[in-house]
Amino acid sequence: MKEPELAEVRRELVALLGESKVLSSKSDLLPYTKDTYRIRFEDDHRYFPDLAVLPETTSEVQGIVKIAARRRMPIIPKGGGSNRTGMLVPIHGGILLDTIKMKRVVEINKPNLYVTVQPGITLKELDEQLADHGLWLTQEQGSLKIATVGGSISTSGFSRFHQKYGVIADRVMSLEVVLADGSVLRTGPKVLYTSTGYRLLQLFIAAEGTLGIITEATLRVEPLPEARDVVLAFYDDFWGANDAAQKLMASGVVFSGAEAYEGHGMERLGAPKGKTSLVYVIFHGTKGEVEADTAFVKRIVEDTHGHLAEHEVALTFLTSYTQQWCGARALTGFEDVITTYVPMERMREFYDRLWNVIAPKYGLEALPGEKLGLDVGRYRMAGGRYWLPKGDRAWERYQEAVHEIAELATSLGGSIQSCHGVGIQHRENIALEYSDVAIETMRSIKKLLDPDNIMNPGKKIPSKK
Amino acid sequence: MTSGTTSMLETAEACAKCRCGCCKDQCPMYSEIIEESISPKGRNLLIRAVCNGILEPDERAVRIAYSCLLCRRDEFDCSAGLKNAEAAEAFREYLVDRGVPLLSQHEPLVKSLENYGNPWQESRAARKRWAREIKGKKAIPGKTEVLFYVGCTFALDRSLQESPKALAHLMELAGEEYGLLLEDELCCGSTAKRIGQRTLFEKLRKENESRIRGISAKTVVTACAGCYKTLKQDYPGLAKDTKLLHSSEYLWRLVSSGKLNFKKTNMRVTYHDPCHLGRHAEVYDDPRRILKAVPGLRLIEMKNSKEKARCCGGGAGVKTAYPEISAKAALRRLEEAKRTGADAVVTTCPFCVQTLRAAAEASSSRMRVLELSVFLDELAVPRSKEARQ
Repeated sequence: MKEPELAEVRRELVALLGESKVLSSKSDLLPYTKDTYRIRFEDDHRYFPDLAVLPETTSEVQGIVKIAARRRMPIIPKGGGSNRTGMLVPIHGGILLDTIKMKRVVEINKPNLYVTVQPGITLKELDEQLADHGLWLTQEQGSLKIATVGGSISTSGFSRFHQKYGVIADRVMSLEVVLADGSVLRTGPKVLYTSTGYRLLQLFIAAEGTLGIITEATLRVEPLPEARDVVLAFYDDFWGANDAAQKLMASGVVFSGAEAYEGHGMERLGAPKGKTSLVYVIFHGTKGEVEADTAFVKRIVEDTHGHLAEHEVALTFLTSYTQQWCGARALTGFEDVITTYVPMERMREFYDRLWNVIAPKYGLEALPGEKLGLDVGRYRMAGGRYWLPKGDRAWERYQEAVHEIAELATSLGGSIQSCHGVGIQHRENIALEYSDVAIETMRSIKKLLDPDNIMNPGKKIPSKK
Repeated sequence: MTSGTTSMLETAEACAKCRCGCCKDQCPMYSEIIEESISPKGRNLLIRAVCNGILEPDERAVRIAYSCLLCRRDEFDCSAGLKNAEAAEAFREYLVDRGVPLLSQHEPLVKSLENYGNPWQESRAARKRWAREIKGKKAIPGKTEVLFYVGCTFALDRSLQESPKALAHLMELAGEEYGLLLEDELCCGSTAKRIGQRTLFEKLRKENESRIRGISAKTVVTACAGCYKTLKQDYPGLAKDTKLLHSSEYLWRLVSSGKLNFKKTNMRVTYHDPCHLGRHAEVYDDPRRILKAVPGLRLIEMKNSKEKARCCGGGAGVKTAYPEISAKAALRRLEEAKRTGADAVVTTCPFCVQTLRAAAEASSSRMRVLELSVFLDELAVPRSKEARQ
């Protein structure tokens, strides 16, 4: 955008929001040039937004959208900023609409077990406030300390307690959304179940800000559980742990979430020598429920020849694992993470091909102890971390590898991304997962709600060939 | 390029690779201002861009540089284990070296340090006023074994002078001999160092270190957490040649050896860890051990304590440059203290006492904010004759 026009936009935004909530210095805009997506390193400072704004109310968001819409200026809505697929990179400049000041808890409705919040509150902040009322959101994702409600809904974020409590997508009851023309859409009543109208709220889950800006969310919450516990068991190898995970699922026992992975340093956790993998299973509920369910799962461990960790060890493991959960999930080097959804029975096939064919072909190298992992339950997230390729055509080989992993996951009947969204990284890859008719339907929906393509343009939906 | 600049850039590069933002969660400045750039992550990205010539340090960059309490709370959450406070401090020095003008709010501090050897625009002679009512005498080179280094804020802020008096009284009760530098005591230089004034800091350090070393005391006791961190970590070699103790460590020795005893109290107190004593110097246990040694006292921990303690908002020039943000951070910490249900919050740093006390007054809170020595002096009982023998 040319300078005089940008200055005019800035003047209008300052008139609407006040000087302190409109950022235009490059020093202030630096954090908005990129999220945690592994963009080309030399492109780190390439994509500055023209401006960033920090609204606090729905009407301020409306005003910003109207100012942008008049000029067909892109708007990139942002939550905590930890996205991994480039969803927040302002590739076409425009206004970065940062929701982090929209932190208000509008209503805590204890009898009906819901909370209505502005989108910028983090999951952790919300849980701290709910705890004073004996409630919790039940959502624990790797970016718990950073992820906002709006961002988490917009990427359909993960939760470690998915099996019992679902993920945030399952908890959304109603949304308020500012659309691309500045009008305010309420998706429906604040109820969990209704059979009236189209389920408009579903359009905005995992929409990555491409259809509108979530300005308020009503979410189902739960009473804080009376008891919580964990069972930890060690196995000779990952596939032994995987067998136990399958038996766990087939048994019908109720647990909050579970994970199986191959790691290193199992002895430090009290594992006998030679055990390379573990399964941990988390429980929440009434005291009686948790006691019965942990006893049941311990029998599964016995039946699957697992080595049960001492209870104290399991508790310590869970505490430290949870404390490190946020940090340990971060990508601290030139690395990336795989969060594909793979059907349980195709897991071995997936990993064999990933590490024995794709990785050597493109020069991916698994991080120690991050090669084989599985979220157990309704999620079938097959995880793994790898160092990015080095040397000639490193970036291109990385992109080719990501594409081939996407092909593999979809060919096995899974999904390219279980919880990190599409952003820039998978924009073209999602055509592998959806039919032409489905993609065209998505384009039609986008055109209907955002005819001028100002809402986070260049993300989510593949470009037209 | 200095080693400080190199390590600052390494930190910034590592942060730029990660960008997770975990640092924001408990950053006291981010919590109040809520802007991405006012966080360790935002500052690291700025350091990288400025040092690599991508950006010129404009007025907003200076605001980002100085909107940090150097409290290190974020480092507890940092995924990459980065030393963000060190990088932030080095960046201030880098900006000063590049000729970026001093923040106007910091000018009086710097001028006062240059003219009077303290940041509070008080004469050098004013430094000994607090000591009129105590028995302590000027340290004698070669003879004084314990040197009590008071620090500018305790010595010169009238509302805080009860603390050095109380500590001196406790020493006297315990039968300890000690000496003072009185008007010869000079600022440790912490204020200058934290706002990037390296040259001024070095000048103060050299002069101060020579005066301290001149006494040849076996032990140097500091009352102020900031002085303690500075003497211990920013005066190379001093901690090796002299036993440096914070007053809480020194008092614990007196308590554990039976030289100090306390009467019973039914007070419930919570303890606030000053950043410079806690995260910077890792002294967490001695103040708590002392409090637990008071008969009847109930020590209740705050939700965020020890390495997780939130900063009071008083450090690194923030209180002077951005007093309204500092006040909000103090209020947030005071709220945490109030949630424990304690009658008083006890702490061991003059800045923490100032900021938390101001927050209590501003919010009409009944919670008492007490410096450890003052609190203990109210409860200390004279030793019995047998013990003295």
